[in-house]
Amino acid sequence: MSPTQLEDASRTGSPVRGDLLLELTGISKFFPGVVALDGVDFDLRHGEVHVLFGENGAGKSTLINIIAGTYPPDAGAFRYRGHALSRLTPHEARAIGISPVFQEFSLVPDLTVEQNLFLGRELTAGGLLNRAAMRAKAEAIIRDLGFDLDPNRKVRELSRAHQQMVEIAKAFLTEVRLLILDEPTASLTEAEAAKLFSLVAKLKAAGVGIIYVSHRMREITAIADRITVLRDGRKIRTVASGEVSETELVELMTGRKIDVLFPEIEFRPRETLLEVEHLTLADRSVNDVSFFARAGEITGIAGLVGCGKSEIIRAVFGLETIASGTIRVGGEVVAHPSPTALLRRGLCYFPSDRVAEGLALSRPVRENASMAALDLPAFSRARVLQRRSERRVIQSIVERLRLQPPQIERPVANFSGGNRQKVLLARGLTRDIKVFLFDEPTVGVDVGAKAEVYELMKALVSAGVAIVLVSSELPEVMHLSHRLYVMHRSRIVAELTGKDINEPEVLSYFFGERSPAAAAG
Amino acid sequence: MSELGIAVRRGRTRRRPRLSWAFAFVLPLLMVAMELAVFSVEPRVLSQRNLINILNQSSYVLVFAAAQMMVILTRGFDLSLGASVSAISVASALVMTGLASAGAPAWLIVVAGLAAGMGFGLLVGLFNGLLVAGLGINPFVVTLGSLNICLGLATTISGGRPVFNVPDPFSHLLYDGTFIPGIPVPLTLAAIISLLLYFVLGHTVFGRSLYLIGNNPRAAELAGLPSKRYLALAYVCCALLAAFGALMLTARTGSGEPNLGGSLMLESIAAAVIGGVSLMGGVGGILQALLGAMFVTMLSNAMDLLEVGGYVQQILLGCVIIGAIFLDRLRVTRS
Amino acid sequence: MAGEVTGREASASAFDRAYRFYAAVGFLPIMLALFVIVLALFVPHFLALGNIFNVLRSSSYLVILAVGQMLVMIVGGFDLSVGAVVALTSVVSASVMAGLAGSLGGHPGIIIALGVGAGVGCGLAIGLLNGLCVAFLKVSPFMVTLGTASIATGFALLLTDGIPVYGMPKSFVNDFGRGLWLQLPTAVYVAVIIVMLLWVMQNFTRMGRYIYAIGGNLQAAIVSGVRAKTHLILAYALCAMLASVSGLALTAQIGSGQAVLNAQLTLESIAAAVIAGVSLKGGVGKVEMVALAAVFLLTLTDAMDLLKIDPRVQSIFLGVIVVLAVAVEELAKRRMTLV
Repeated sequence: MSPTQLEDASRTGSPVRGDLLLELTGISKFFPGVVALDGVDFDLRHGEVHVLFGENGAGKSTLINIIAGTYPPDAGAFRYRGHALSRLTPHEARAIGISPVFQEFSLVPDLTVEQNLFLGRELTAGGLLNRAAMRAKAEAIIRDLGFDLDPNRKVRELSRAHQQMVEIAKAFLTEVRLLILDEPTASLTEAEAAKLFSLVAKLKAAGVGIIYVSHRMREITAIADRITVLRDGRKIRTVASGEVSETELVELMTGRKIDVLFPEIEFRPRETLLEVEHLTLADRSVNDVSFFARAGEITGIAGLVGCGKSEIIRAVFGLETIASGTIRVGGEVVAHPSPTALLRRGLCYFPSDRVAEGLALSRPVRENASMAALDLPAFSRARVLQRRSERRVIQSIVERLRLQPPQIERPVANFSGGNRQKVLLARGLTRDIKVFLFDEPTVGVDVGAKAEVYELMKALVSAGVAIVLVSSELPEVMHLSHRLYVMHRSRIVAELTGKDINEPEVLSYFFGERSPAAAAG
Repeated sequence: MSELGIAVRRGRTRRRPRLSWAFAFVLPLLMVAMELAVFSVEPRVLSQRNLINILNQSSYVLVFAAAQMMVILTRGFDLSLGASVSAISVASALVMTGLASAGAPAWLIVVAGLAAGMGFGLLVGLFNGLLVAGLGINPFVVTLGSLNICLGLATTISGGRPVFNVPDPFSHLLYDGTFIPGIPVPLTLAAIISLLLYFVLGHTVFGRSLYLIGNNPRAAELAGLPSKRYLALAYVCCALLAAFGALMLTARTGSGEPNLGGSLMLESIAAAVIGGVSLMGGVGGILQALLGAMFVTMLSNAMDLLEVGGYVQQILLGCVIIGAIFLDRLRVTRS
Repeated sequence: MAGEVTGREASASAFDRAYRFYAAVGFLPIMLALFVIVLALFVPHFLALGNIFNVLRSSSYLVILAVGQMLVMIVGGFDLSVGAVVALTSVVSASVMAGLAGSLGGHPGIIIALGVGAGVGCGLAIGLLNGLCVAFLKVSPFMVTLGTASIATGFALLLTDGIPVYGMPKSFVNDFGRGLWLQLPTAVYVAVIIVMLLWVMQNFTRMGRYIYAIGGNLQAAIVSGVRAKTHLILAYALCAMLASVSGLALTAQIGSGQAVLNAQLTLESIAAAVIAGVSLKGGVGKVEMVALAAVFLLTLTDAMDLLKIDPRVQSIFLGVIVVLAVAVEELAKRRMTLV
């Protein structure tokens, strides 16, 4: 049955058989060089909150995109309300009641909130836009959701949290039968998240099926009816909430016992290699932040998305405009931070978005790995490249990092996420880098490679390197940090060590429930 | 969001075996096929005289294609190329004829002419480079602006008329003299330039940076490469190469022509792209520029021999360009 | 995050306040007003009614051309073939009209209609070619339109050998091109109608909004169900057709079909769009500003003519202005992210 026929059927109210709202069997999806989904089964009942649980890169976003009609599966069957669907488009999906709320990508920055809400579904009167009607409806939806949004502002001017709200509001423009929420609370405050959960409860009661994508335990235990765990593109298990403990869930997600995933690291902190004092950025995403990092130690920085933790280390590396503050590397003040200046002082930043900021995808591994060290004698003399020497050095580094396959002439694009990260990390080994600034280092990295990255961190730390680890993955940043800073809304609100690094403690600072104690500095 | 992101692609399947190798042979095969086809109608095309003609002509096209290549590698382009050539031609001719009528010695005339030409080129290159790299303005707008400025300058300082009687010593140096006996000067010059660029692109930090900047400018910055400086340098190189080409052309025509640039801009980009320098940046080299230059030259040579009108040739050039970018796109999406 | 207006006390320095005023009203109207005042004071005959009408009439073609270019720029592309379309339209329409003069001599209305139809048809053809290549082949609009420009110019030259085409019906030239209606040149009315129609389209139709969306965030538009390909093609087709209309206006004014391509036309259209604040990245642009910018450019040219500045030198000025306008926009953008 085509989506349009289904749409007609729902409008005329003809009975649709089956008690399953959505039934996917054997869904597979391939992208160049990657198997995103491999024979996944998934089903959703009416009035159920079904959590899709898994790490970044597990295949969650691919699956929900298929359900929302962004692209078709390469194999498998798709049944919605009892009818088989094929070649679904985003437009048709919305028309039959499938409302996705993505994390990003679906807002046009230079259009207003109202214009974005109605994009693709404008209300018209006699061929022209009915702006009055759209204004009224927009205000009604925003009011019902209890959001604090001005329909006339351009999306570009909104904070990330507000943009997320617009994205959510979009889903409620048409009648919703299947709601997909993709990490919706990533940047919401506690209060806003609570509003969202009560909304979810209301929808449940009305028989709407909800797919909730997340990898945060707290939310899952609060609202899930069933949980499906995905790992590396495969479905591992579907369990009912409460059937399995939290620890077991994490183990299903990572495929390893927790204590095996994170290595035991013995910290012996030595001299202070990086000091940041009263740093404030021009766009105020970071306000009066002070912290330090020592050799032989992993300094973690945790916080909600948008709290400013990435911006701090980016600013240290010279990628953000600094309004005031001092940065000291090895005791010396760095007056004008820039990547070149800091690399020369032995500090390297590893960006979270590898593809956009880290790697030249169609160039070979060799060029990507040596990119940051071309001024060193091993790689060039008098600006002339020493290719033989370069080959030798990079080959040995790549073998040490266990790149799969260890072919340095292969374009980086042909490697998996985990291996790409290794190519990026190789940069840190081409120079005498004493401070590693990691920004979400294991995003999109499969579990096997993750473990290897953690082992590398352990080795680096024992060799006397200082690591600053910025991560939104709470288990990761908690298990690996020797000292952990927590940020909330552009400020540091806690500096925790030892036993204080545990989930309830850290989370309480996440949402600003506690005032900054005798924190950083 | 995971690295895969939400790519709006449809029907993508697992990686196909790479067809990029096939593409490398398409162009040479096409060239051979074209020559044979023309030969069947007009046998003169494969005569020794004509082949030498083609080689000569491609030398000029190569210089300009190589110039464009420098900036196309960085994901930019130089629209001012033809106009700057006109302006340089006129400027250097004026300088030289001026000095000649003042009775200056031959060596001074030649040096002054070269200096004027290359100096002008340097200025244009700096203008383009500083605005694109320093201020981050779209190269399209910047070079469109410098195109108009150069055109204006060319017509203004020449009064709209060619500057005749470029001194012989100059022409000898760059056109009909002898560096290596038996080989025409333009060919030698083109060969030298090719070798130089091969070295620079493949074996210097600057060259490597161009590819990295073209492939991912953000990544290049994050890796501490002086990308702004090198980007500006790319535009300077382009303009200098174009200036040299302008001087070569001026030597050939023996006069400073305010229309010398003509359709050079289009031809140089077409040659580079057809040869395999991708508009997406980060792909291509001197070999590709060479192939493209030869192809474009062979095509126009064939059309001349077949007495195809100039206007029709222009139409064909347009079609060839569209074909070339389509091919470029295929190349990129397949590999 | 960047862009969020936090509750900081607005640093009310005089510069910031002036800047905010200027940003709200828009760079262009202020520049234009200042400019007119300066010129009125220093250039003789500037404010003569005849001169003003002259400026308005001569800017009509650019207004029409520039608003077409704006459409394509909003969807994130460029159309470098507009100048060539003008030339081709000029030549084709003039040739058709001259050719039919013999057989349909007594019906100038039909001759004109057919000529205009043929001309606009050329624009449509080229616009469709551009749009199809960009939408389906997904190639760079810059290169495609360079290619079609070459093709169109080639055809125009082929048809006429570079010689102007005479023989258009007198009424076309006299009434449309050089005639006055209610004291204003007829071309002005055409331009005004087009600007109004586009204004309605931009602000009150789905198509207008979709064009903004496609240019602003293509992925978002597609995911929201906007038919991106259709609208892309429409934008390019409209742009080329408007270029045709512009060509017809010019042909009527000049009195003959000209294939001599004025490469400056393309630059002028882009200059007008850029000065009007149409972003090179797409997603931003207002038709009323573009029209104003076109008038501004022609006012500038008029002033330079009155000051007896050589047209060749004017070319240089144009180049400098375009670069300046974009540089200012860039610098202003940077300053904004710090405010």
